[in-house]
Amino acid sequence: MRKLIEFRNIVKTFDGQQVLKGVNLNIFENEFVTLLGPSGCGKTTLLRILGGFLEQDEGTVIFDGQCIDNVPPYKREINTVFQRYALFPHMNVYENIAFGLRIKKLGNDIIRQKVNRMLSLVNLEGYGKRNVTRLSGGQQQRVAIARALVNEPNVLLLDEPLGALDLKLRKEMQRELKRIQQEVGITFIYVTHDQEEALTMSDKIVVMNAGKIEQIGTPLEIYNEPANAYVARFIGESNITTGLMKSETQVRFDDRDFECQDYRFKQGEAVDVLIRPEDIAIVPPGKGVMTGEVKSVVFKGVHYELMVETRIGTSKTVKMNVVTSHDLSNPDNGEKISANDFYVDLDDLENKEFTDLDFISIANAQAWDEENRDISLTRVSHNIEKQPGVYSITFGTDRKTEITVKVYVVHPEYVEDARHNIGISALDFFITPEEIQESMAISTDLKTWASAEAWNLQDDSPVDITDVKFDFDPAQVTEGSYEITFATQGREYKVETTSRHEAGDRVGLAFGPENIHLMRKEVYET
Amino acid sequence: MKSFFRMTYPYILWIALFVVAPMIMILLYAFTKDGGNRTLIFRFTLDNFIRFFQDPTFTKVLLTSLRIALITTVFCILIGYPAALIIANLPERLQTLMVLLLTLPMWINMLLKTYAWRGILNDFTLNSEIKVFIGMVYDFLPYMIIQIHTAIAKMDRDLLTAAYDLGANRWKTFLKVTLPLSVPGIISGITLVFLPAVSSFVIPKLLGGGDYVLIGNLIETFFISTGDWNFGSAISLVMALIIIASMWVTRKLDRNAQTE
Repeated sequence: MRKLIEFRNIVKTFDGQQVLKGVNLNIFENEFVTLLGPSGCGKTTLLRILGGFLEQDEGTVIFDGQCIDNVPPYKREINTVFQRYALFPHMNVYENIAFGLRIKKLGNDIIRQKVNRMLSLVNLEGYGKRNVTRLSGGQQQRVAIARALVNEPNVLLLDEPLGALDLKLRKEMQRELKRIQQEVGITFIYVTHDQEEALTMSDKIVVMNAGKIEQIGTPLEIYNEPANAYVARFIGESNITTGLMKSETQVRFDDRDFECQDYRFKQGEAVDVLIRPEDIAIVPPGKGVMTGEVKSVVFKGVHYELMVETRIGTSKTVKMNVVTSHDLSNPDNGEKISANDFYVDLDDLENKEFTDLDFISIANAQAWDEENRDISLTRVSHNIEKQPGVYSITFGTDRKTEITVKVYVVHPEYVEDARHNIGISALDFFITPEEIQESMAISTDLKTWASAEAWNLQDDSPVDITDVKFDFDPAQVTEGSYEITFATQGREYKVETTSRHEAGDRVGLAFGPENIHLMRKEVYET
Repeated sequence: MKSFFRMTYPYILWIALFVVAPMIMILLYAFTKDGGNRTLIFRFTLDNFIRFFQDPTFTKVLLTSLRIALITTVFCILIGYPAALIIANLPERLQTLMVLLLTLPMWINMLLKTYAWRGILNDFTLNSEIKVFIGMVYDFLPYMIIQIHTAIAKMDRDLLTAAYDLGANRWKTFLKVTLPLSVPGIISGITLVFLPAVSSFVIPKLLGGGDYVLIGNLIETFFISTGDWNFGSAISLVMALIIIASMWVTRKLDRNAQTE
């Protein structure tokens, strides 16, 4: 194939921001090339520079062996299909397509021939007299393609042309575009952010990110051998984790050593490990290379997408004591008073001044009279010492109504998980069945009641507690003691499978050395 | 719905009193004759119209009015189109400022502006028709510019890019894309310039001097000075018909431009 277009070190800056950071790219004859990347990656800018609508700050564009930097758009043998089609509303379908030919002052009979040929190429025979503003999106799209192709350009630029169409139409147009490209046999340069579109149509995909090219390759190469985690994430679904090369054929990740078939990395090198969800097979628990619990199941039509947790996160289990509160009444004046036993962390006791109000709120102490009016608690006395043990605290009103409850002062119990750098803490607590029944979001409330917290051991930054495990029915809880486990995010694998599983199932995961893709670790400027 | 309809009664009354009734009176006056001593004789007659079309002085005034309005409109397009095009290509904020500057004189009473022009033009020895032209073009130009500017500004810029892309240079792009797409603006500009220009009477009166008579002045004379309401009404009716006819023509042009 002959080289048709060459971008040499293209740099473009908008408002002080570099949109293209030195792009080098070769495009050959008859290729269907896709520039793929998220919005703002510079793909449209590159296209507009090639079309001549923008001028690069640095670098050169070579077209067919000639530098075209100073050639205005109307003299370039390149035509564009615009994002919003840009059809001329004052012309019918026929005149829109004939526009370029009329500019070239071709004879009417030649124009009619060419336009009719284009109309049948894009399957719009008989639509010549139609008003373009009354066509459907797909039809307008076809007119825009015909209007560009009728000029017989060497290159057709397509700027996200299917963006405005619905899914079904988009799929149809993808096939259509590929067919048209094969039929006319010219270079198509297609810009999109839709990875599926890129995989379906392209001969070559150029993955762009933040003004740079991350990888150039065929759809198969890009999918099977992504150059780095960025490309892997952009193309298809992926499980990516950090690994360390134990030898040239062994990589360690998830605390295990795995054989691999990638020999590009040296012993001791840090790599990114990619395992595609469709490469993982579900096997009975205990078989395969890992075992885990199904966390969620999403039906995707042909397959199910499972999230399987192979390692639970760092966790802490506490005791929840469910007690009915005992109201005490004062026979002298009819006043009633209540309070719960509670736990206090020794660390907190040492570091923080506890006021009477703090104790009242921790114990949930309240008093009320015969007519249910709140009475303030004016007296609090206790014998709490800064040492582990059981103490008592007494709350009382002005009129000598009193209640005494127990205070458990305990050593703080942190669970520190040095390997994953996470600490987690939570306290036992007392609670009434009513409070549990009234809870709208039980997991969140349990975290509050137990003062559950997790943090990064290195920098003390907070870590989410994603899992609250308990085995009681909040609506029908009775007095007693219950265990509650709080845990941070563990290790999860996304798996695509056609077999049915329910959340909570235990399953084995199997994949072979050929399914482990290793990628260079990239450091990104943020 | 019924109570809602009842709310329109005051407006219907208003329109009946101040629009429909005067029109009927004009119709009545135009087709009747003054019976002398300010009495009205309800007898159908075409005398007023015959008098208007038989007297060459009157038809000449009508033709002059049409000619002046036509030339005024043409000049407004010739000056206004490039102005609108330039404004539409300015950065957005400047555009707003320019449109504001253009509309500013429209808020000043026309009589005042015309007197100002009389002061200025008095120093020059120009014939009265040219003076009237200057006054008319000055007064009606903003309407034309704003209409055309709106049409150009709402045009999709991608259309120009598409035209370059398809091989058209700037001039061809203008001829084949910008100009045809601004036709609706030109047409509504014509409606706003030609119609009031035909019937204007203050500008020709003040700038043209007493010897310069347009149809508006004619109507004014017969109603105010001569007191011949029957003949004045007939002229008014003739002019109303001309206006209706030209509105119909521009409508038709506008629709053609849009469907083509």
